[in-house]
Amino acid sequence: MGTGGAILRLAGHPLQAMRPQPLGTSRVTRTPYLLVAPLTVVLIVFFGIPLVLVVVVSFFDLDKFDIIPTFVLTNYAEVFGSSLTYALYAKTITYALIVWAITLVIGFTVSYFLVFHVRSVLVQMALFLLCTVPFWTSNVIRMISWIPFLGRHGLFNQSLIAVGITDHPLEFLLFSNFSVVIAYVHLFSLFMIVPIFNSMARIDRAVIEAAVDGGASRARVITEIVIPLSKTGIALGSIFVIALVMGDFFVVKIMSGGQSSSVVAAMSNEIAILQYPPAAANAVCLLIIVMLMVAAIMRLVDVRRELSG
Amino acid sequence: MAASGHIELRSVTKRFDQTLAVDDISLTIPHGSYCCLLGPSGCGKTTILRMIAGHETPTAGDIRIGGESVVGLPPVRRGTAMMFQNYALFPHLTVLDNVAFNLKVRGVGKAERHRRAREVLAQVQLDQFADRMPAQLSGGQQQRVALSRALITEPRVLLLDEPLSALDEFLRLQMRGELRRIQRELGITFVHVTHTQLEAIAVADAVVVMEEGRIEQAASAHEIYTLPATAYVARFMGGQNVLAGTVIAVNGGAVTLVDGTGARFATPVTSTAPAKGQEIFCCIRRDRIKVEKLRAPLSSVGEATNVLAGTVHAIEYQGSYVKVTIDVPGREQFVGNLPDHAFLTAPLDIGDAVVARWATEDVHLLTGDSTRTATGVRPLPLEAQRDGVRSR
Amino acid sequence: MTARSSNGRPWTFYALAAFFTLFVLFLYGPMSAIFILSFQGPTGGLTFPMNGVSLHWFKALVVQQRSGDFVGSFSRSIVLAIIVLAITVVISIMAGLAFRYRFRGATAVFYMAIASLIMPGLLLGLGVGLMFQFAHVSPAWFSSALGAQLTWTLPFGLLIMFAVFSRFNRAYEEAARDLGASPWQTLRLVVLPILLPGIIGVALFGFTLSYDEFPRTLIPIGSRNTLPLEIWAMTTDVTSPALYALGTLTTAVSFVVIAVALTSIAVIQRRRARRQRDRTPGPLGDA
Repeated sequence: MGTGGAILRLAGHPLQAMRPQPLGTSRVTRTPYLLVAPLTVVLIVFFGIPLVLVVVVSFFDLDKFDIIPTFVLTNYAEVFGSSLTYALYAKTITYALIVWAITLVIGFTVSYFLVFHVRSVLVQMALFLLCTVPFWTSNVIRMISWIPFLGRHGLFNQSLIAVGITDHPLEFLLFSNFSVVIAYVHLFSLFMIVPIFNSMARIDRAVIEAAVDGGASRARVITEIVIPLSKTGIALGSIFVIALVMGDFFVVKIMSGGQSSSVVAAMSNEIAILQYPPAAANAVCLLIIVMLMVAAIMRLVDVRRELSG
Repeated sequence: MAASGHIELRSVTKRFDQTLAVDDISLTIPHGSYCCLLGPSGCGKTTILRMIAGHETPTAGDIRIGGESVVGLPPVRRGTAMMFQNYALFPHLTVLDNVAFNLKVRGVGKAERHRRAREVLAQVQLDQFADRMPAQLSGGQQQRVALSRALITEPRVLLLDEPLSALDEFLRLQMRGELRRIQRELGITFVHVTHTQLEAIAVADAVVVMEEGRIEQAASAHEIYTLPATAYVARFMGGQNVLAGTVIAVNGGAVTLVDGTGARFATPVTSTAPAKGQEIFCCIRRDRIKVEKLRAPLSSVGEATNVLAGTVHAIEYQGSYVKVTIDVPGREQFVGNLPDHAFLTAPLDIGDAVVARWATEDVHLLTGDSTRTATGVRPLPLEAQRDGVRSR
Repeated sequence: MTARSSNGRPWTFYALAAFFTLFVLFLYGPMSAIFILSFQGPTGGLTFPMNGVSLHWFKALVVQQRSGDFVGSFSRSIVLAIIVLAITVVISIMAGLAFRYRFRGATAVFYMAIASLIMPGLLLGLGVGLMFQFAHVSPAWFSSALGAQLTWTLPFGLLIMFAVFSRFNRAYEEAARDLGASPWQTLRLVVLPILLPGIIGVALFGFTLSYDEFPRTLIPIGSRNTLPLEIWAMTTDVTSPALYALGTLTTAVSFVVIAVALTSIAVIQRRRARRQRDRTPGPLGDA
């Protein structure tokens, strides 16, 4: 593993270690169960049970701010009966698709450059780290750093005026759909770069050279070899980015200046005024939609089989 | 030598899920001998080594070292030590700490274990590299560190898994002589796994040729090379041409057979001669073949015995001899290894029509599967074996 | 093929390099703006131009406490991040070791980890908050928030351990066993030291993901905030460059942690790296 290589291959081979690859003597032992127990317990207690509780609470009733343990469908009736819900989902899914498309182009291009055009492994690793370091810093800070940049008197407008492209500050830059998408791309493109980089890095160079020797153009090498062989990374990156955008509330709140919203942002408003059951119903609907989107991607690209192979 | 490194495998079988890796093998390796397990990849040779070492457990059968069953014992209590393919030197420890590892886990104090590790390293002229990391050594040096690390445990059996495969050709030839010398010096049992025929016959007292989880032949290196038991061994060892045919005549010490193309061969037989009409295999050493340009028309050799006519397919210069591959219509290619002076006095070219001839006494009857059951190895005296191999 | 420039690079190289450079500017450019603005003079505002250069807003953070409990939330965040780091490292190593065996339920645990990773953070926080509410336990940063953060750091740790173990050569373990090491000695003296760079990677993820986490922590945090929650609160009601000063400080802490982790990985790798390649064999097996 190169410097930092191991750490950065975060989505590289999730299932490889699960390949039937028994240790030296393939006896039935309790060891793996003991070793995996802490992980399982933490996930059940802090992911499994909370998930179940959200589903359960979505059927509870609400009296002002008190939760009444019963079984009602009013929360769902509210969710499905409100035209706001559909508008929010339309908005959120639109954000997700736009951001997905942009991060896909960025992720593919950056990975392609790093894998196939940077000759030195050391330089490659350094440039890869350069893309990765912001991931380890605060999302909120990275997001708000766009405010002085894109604002009316921000750096970008000032430069545009200085160069003479425009004579008055552009208003659409900040607190708009534009700034929301910019911030999403800024925060989440790494989740696309890393998996695509990993699957591209595994492509045998000899395959590319053989194709070029066989007379394939650069474009055909990309469409016939690079894209098919990196589709696992593309699928994983897509899952990450779509799930992150669908689950966001803070970027849309801050970067739209309150002019736009998303499903989870609306939910966080309900939570803020302790309206847990409707929020939970909303959460269940969102989870189902995200799961369907992830399932659709997994159906298109057999992530599991490709990862274990 | 306190403990005996006499190894005995009794009907050992190993299955991995559905795959049968080792199929009911019995084998005896005497104490103090150098034994090579030879075969293509996947033949089960490494599995056998790993079962002797204790890194795999047999599905059935017993493994005994020095007369006691070791199945279920951890490696360290078997008195074995293993040298891994690519050596598996610990990359985070210095050469000295690698060698001293066994002493460390046994609780030997730092000063004492370093002193002893230095001694062992000095024996292989590596003491000045003691403080280096393994990755800073060349392949040959790494190999000697691995050897030192294994030998510091004072094993009665040293198990070597493809010990020379990571080296370049030059070092490989040098190190195989070195391994043989060390084995003689220590007087312990060496079991060496390889897929290279020449490596096996160069170092070993006894060679075990394996195929698909079974032993094809276990014998001295000289015997394996010159007197193969089966057509598989004859082909695998590479020094022989295999002939097959039906017995048409039995007279005294020899039988005559005829193959599908009508060619006739004769082979000497010992006590149990095959019966008329029986299908048999025999082989003729490549270096006992005479090849000459064909002047007479082809039909005139048709009725002769131990003669084949064909065209030269390839000529490879091998230094002391020239390998001539001949296409013979209707049968597998035939190879003659001609001494270089013989070749140079009557040179051949690709496409030449030639005849190959040999003497009946150089033909060897292949006895088939008879060696597959319980196999003991009788090592020939080393020098006799060496001479045998060299005399070709 | 493609037209090549004089030094052998195809034109696409320059096009892609330009794209990459723009992307890096996009990543770092805006961040540098707030670093500069955090040194705004005492009368300066949230945007350019700079009204002088000062450390005024950094002092304001500590001295006036006008922006909330900066010192308390900062130290809480550090302590929490260290706890998360320790738990993540230990549990991820154990799980990584477990997944090298075949065991029943492996696929289920794996998919649960992945689901936990892509679960919208706020929803997970809601669930954890509900759980504590129903159990009549007050949520706190060291209980409910810790658990919520682990659902985020552990899947990452697990994925990194998969990648690390997939490159780990089993022969090292067998060699150790062969040389008489007990299973525990094998783990302690051989496996863990060899995997150390990967484990530092897990630690880096554990620390930074916890230190900067806020969607999952928001609901189950209890009464005392962590730093990211403090910042989140400030984004809505603080309109001074103190926000940027805080951003600069917290990013600086992240950078220090990243630098320490990456440097130690680099040092370990270099120590093990091959220094002299392709040495030609000498007469005595290059002794």
